[in-house]
Amino acid sequence: MTDVPHIMVLPSRLRRGWRLFLFYSSAVLLTGMVSLLFADLLWRTGWSSSRSVLLGLFIILFLLTAIGCMHGVYGLFIRLLGTRRCITGLKPFKEQNIDGVSTAIIFPVFNEDSVRVLEGLRATYESLQRAGQLDRFDFFILSDSTNPDRWIEEERRWSELVCDLDALGKIYYRRRLFNEARKSGNVRDFLNTWGKRYRYFVCCDADSVMRGETLVDLVKLMEAHPTVGLIQTVPALVNAESLFGRIQQFANRLYAPVFIAGLNYWALDFGNYWGHNAIIRTDPFMQYCDLPQLPGRKPFGGQILSHDFVEAALMLREHWQVWLAYDLEGSYEEAPQSLIDNAQRERRWCQGNLQHTLVLFAKGLRGVSRMHLILGIFGYVASPLWLAFMLTFNWIYCYQKYTYLSDISVPSFNPYLKNWSGTEHAFLIFVICMVVIMLPKLLSLIDLARDWPRRKEFGGLLNACFGVVGETIFSTLHAPLLMLWHTRFVLTNIAGISVSWTTQRRAADGTDWLYAVQRHWGHMLIGVVWGWFTWKLDPGLFWWFTPVVAGMVLSVPVSVLTSRRSLGARAKTLGLFLTPEETRPPLELISLRSRMKIHDLTTDDAPRIRIHAGLAVAVLDPYVNAVHVSLLREKQLNPVYAEHFKRLGAGTPAVRDLGEKLLAGGPEKLSPSERLVVLADQAVMVWLHQQAWLRPEEKLAPWWKAMIREFSRE
Amino acid sequence: MESTLNILANASGEIAGRSLEEWNSAYVKVENYFHALRIRNKPLLGQLVLRVLERAQRRAPDELNRSATEIAAEEMDRLVTGWFAEVLQASPAGTDQMLSTRGRLALLLADMPGKWQDQFLRPGPWPEEFVAAMRESFFRAGPDFQLSKMAPRPLDLGPITTLTNFGKLPYVRMALAWASYALLLVAVFWLTHGGFEQVKARLLDVFDWFRQND
Repeated sequence: MTDVPHIMVLPSRLRRGWRLFLFYSSAVLLTGMVSLLFADLLWRTGWSSSRSVLLGLFIILFLLTAIGCMHGVYGLFIRLLGTRRCITGLKPFKEQNIDGVSTAIIFPVFNEDSVRVLEGLRATYESLQRAGQLDRFDFFILSDSTNPDRWIEEERRWSELVCDLDALGKIYYRRRLFNEARKSGNVRDFLNTWGKRYRYFVCCDADSVMRGETLVDLVKLMEAHPTVGLIQTVPALVNAESLFGRIQQFANRLYAPVFIAGLNYWALDFGNYWGHNAIIRTDPFMQYCDLPQLPGRKPFGGQILSHDFVEAALMLREHWQVWLAYDLEGSYEEAPQSLIDNAQRERRWCQGNLQHTLVLFAKGLRGVSRMHLILGIFGYVASPLWLAFMLTFNWIYCYQKYTYLSDISVPSFNPYLKNWSGTEHAFLIFVICMVVIMLPKLLSLIDLARDWPRRKEFGGLLNACFGVVGETIFSTLHAPLLMLWHTRFVLTNIAGISVSWTTQRRAADGTDWLYAVQRHWGHMLIGVVWGWFTWKLDPGLFWWFTPVVAGMVLSVPVSVLTSRRSLGARAKTLGLFLTPEETRPPLELISLRSRMKIHDLTTDDAPRIRIHAGLAVAVLDPYVNAVHVSLLREKQLNPVYAEHFKRLGAGTPAVRDLGEKLLAGGPEKLSPSERLVVLADQAVMVWLHQQAWLRPEEKLAPWWKAMIREFSRE
Repeated sequence: MESTLNILANASGEIAGRSLEEWNSAYVKVENYFHALRIRNKPLLGQLVLRVLERAQRRAPDELNRSATEIAAEEMDRLVTGWFAEVLQASPAGTDQMLSTRGRLALLLADMPGKWQDQFLRPGPWPEEFVAAMRESFFRAGPDFQLSKMAPRPLDLGPITTLTNFGKLPYVRMALAWASYALLLVAVFWLTHGGFEQVKARLLDVFDWFRQND
């Protein structure tokens, strides 16, 4: 990397220590006061060992809630008072010269919808073109797809896009033959092959879209701050259509600015990496961020799954700065469109975050990095703790009842609470908890109220208030489900049990009812049994548990109805859950949405979704076959891939025999791995194309005849 | 089109010793392939197919054991690959296994289906722009490799490493089995020395309470 400047790493002088102390002390102070009140309540009803457990759980859970609340409080103050302690405010960067600076924009993909991936890439590409900075960037689609149909579809769409944009030599495509180490391995493979050509790389997700100006700003910021190793943008959730997606999107757009400003208050240059929509300095990343295998076995040992947090921690360990550019707009991503899709994503993340428990002990990591890791771990561990808290409470209540012990034995130690009944005392704690949970939402509304243009983007303050109420009702119903799901994920991960999920069956307008029952029957059962139990115990207690039990009992209708696009559209018509990207969509998203719409309306995917369609197209289509073979040929030039081809057995007579079997018997005669080997052999693919068109029909399997006929009709 | 006049069927309803039905199948096969190459102009498509069939009919009387479709497909391949060799100035067809691939790729990148359908399979000279587009078309899936090797630096996890390898320590499993056995003995002792009555009494209490509250 000849164009990398000599970098001298300077110590940070941002008074982070004070900020950390202030921030976390506020949370601890609040937790301490409320925990004392809670301990007093427990003491008044007679101390027992189960009450000690309850208090311990309460302290942990309340501390986590208080930390969340403090993010809101500090975030609002930062937004009200303004700060220069953010990456965009440290020094002027807009005039920074970036001539000759090379940046790669990478899109790692794994069996994703290639139409959406490439349209997102196109929107980013065209945005950079409009910004007049296209020549400083190269695009890479880094495929790890294992589904042959997806693989061929990606190649086909990529070649079409390249021709369409006249972007040969600007947009590249590469597929790995073996997807070792998943996404981090995919990025490492890119860096090992081309990394030294680029001073920076921007890592995008399959659903990412970035504005050209934002990308240019990121490069300028990196150039202006040579000690910065990584800048993470805060992606806005966009393009949601279902009610669930729109609620998540609304919450993200309304609450995130305040919350992230609070996060930046204590993290400063010790920020975090979320795996995508971030710019990374290639040289230190290559030097320090290759992930080792963790000792021991799964779920904690082995390959690090959630690589992003660890990569940021490793970067920080080597004195490189990591910043959150929370005030840079123009960074977008999409969110799951239903509760079940969301839970599936959570399951993957849960395993990765739990593994960070081991990384916590790594020597040399910064304290702040450990804090990021702990918060990530507790994002999932809090659920089983919450469940344990409620079960312990139920146990105490049940024990108290059947042993006929009285409720209140002694008055409170606090003179103000001396004359309060136990119920009043408990109610006070409940109100404080609710305030701490709800305060960040209220602060976000206050932040919105003072910003007129932004208020308008949310459809006005009144609409935003209704949106917050709606979102709060929904998240109250959603929280118990997340609790049960997370608990299951945590426990199964710790036990090393892999949980398999069948592919979601979708109705035309969201989640299928039957599928929802399959996924939620356990939640419903728990809700009914728990509700019955609390009712039997004490009808008064039952009403306190109603929000928790209602979320579980109503899980099926909530899951199905919130996945409906029609309901999402209806809410939009009513002005509910509006976001700035909906009221004033940026050009990149307009372009993306209209192209996706045109694609949906004009493409008849019926033949393409036929089983083994990818194989048929790769063999029969003269152009797709040519593109496919050329890509395989070029890959052979890389010694690493050449070795992989050898491992696969490509180029051996055995593969030609498989090709013969394929022609004579059709794809069903080959195993999935054999089909992949055939597709990876360039000579056999050339031969298959020729043979499929030259051979008389009687020498081909009926499947080929059908495919040729279908092909000719297109 | 002059030569196509020669392919009229003879008195027995055959052309070059093959039935009309057989030539129809051959026609469909060749047309399908050109269709796959995105030749959408109908007159041009028909003309190209007839050109291939004419060549096949010339060969047909000498190869009576082969079907018209087989001969026509072979002729189509020869014609197309030969034309690629001419346009791309490559070695003669048959010596370069990748010529067909290169040619098809060049057609795609030069946008033959969109801009140059009229030039497809036409003998030279061709318009300079078309020739340049075909010859300069090369595919790059990535820039030049600049290979390097990232090397992971081990994470020193301190004493926790020992914990992760706990299961691998010698005799640990045996010790765990003994501990489980000991626990079982403790449980048996407790249950047989009043513990069982305690559990029973607790359960009865709970049932009583539910009965009273029902």
